[in-house]
Amino acid sequence: MGCSLATSLVTEVKKIRRTLNPDFLFIEPSELVISEEMRQATRMALRDVNFSNGPFITLVDGPGFQDLWKERQPLLLGQIAGADVVALSKSDLLSPGRMEAIMDTIQGYCHGIYRLSVHTGSGVEDLVKAIERS
Amino acid sequence: MRIVTVSGIRGSGKTTLVRELIVRFREKGRRAAVIVNEEGEETYAPDFLGTHGVEVFPLRGG
Repeated sequence: MGCSLATSLVTEVKKIRRTLNPDFLFIEPSELVISEEMRQATRMALRDVNFSNGPFITLVDGPGFQDLWKERQPLLLGQIAGADVVALSKSDLLSPGRMEAIMDTIQGYCHGIYRLSVHTGSGVEDLVKAIERS
Repeated sequence: MRIVTVSGIRGSGKTTLVRELIVRFREKGRRAAVIVNEEGEETYAPDFLGTHGVEVFPLRGG
């Protein structure tokens, strides 16, 4: 994440906090941003306005995992390693065997993995609870 | 205000998840806003934003 983008993000966060002040501000960063960069950027905003920071959720694309792990492992690891919550998305499209293989591959890099499918609703309530517990 | 960051590669389901979380929290009477730094295949349709009282703030660049 470049300096100018981080500054723009901080400006936007401060503006939203001072005007709308919603219960939740969801941030969807660019796919190239890793979790630690987001932590640093949002921490900068905390110098000026008060809010609760986190959780940092990383989605791991279940069906595309094999190719992604082969081609973009540093990016995936950067997103997984710094996250509070890791969720395997589109898990309804995975066989039990493939799901277990992905879990085995990445579980050493994170605290735990949620099996998520927004399509079926599986795992969504667990994420809601994880956010509420933060 | 609580910031919830949802990271992931393009197509991993970030917008789909955030939309679902907005709906779930809205049912509990909680308000949300979104900062988006990427235009994915999924978007926030105007009627969705109106129904759930959500504002979306695009962030351009890297």
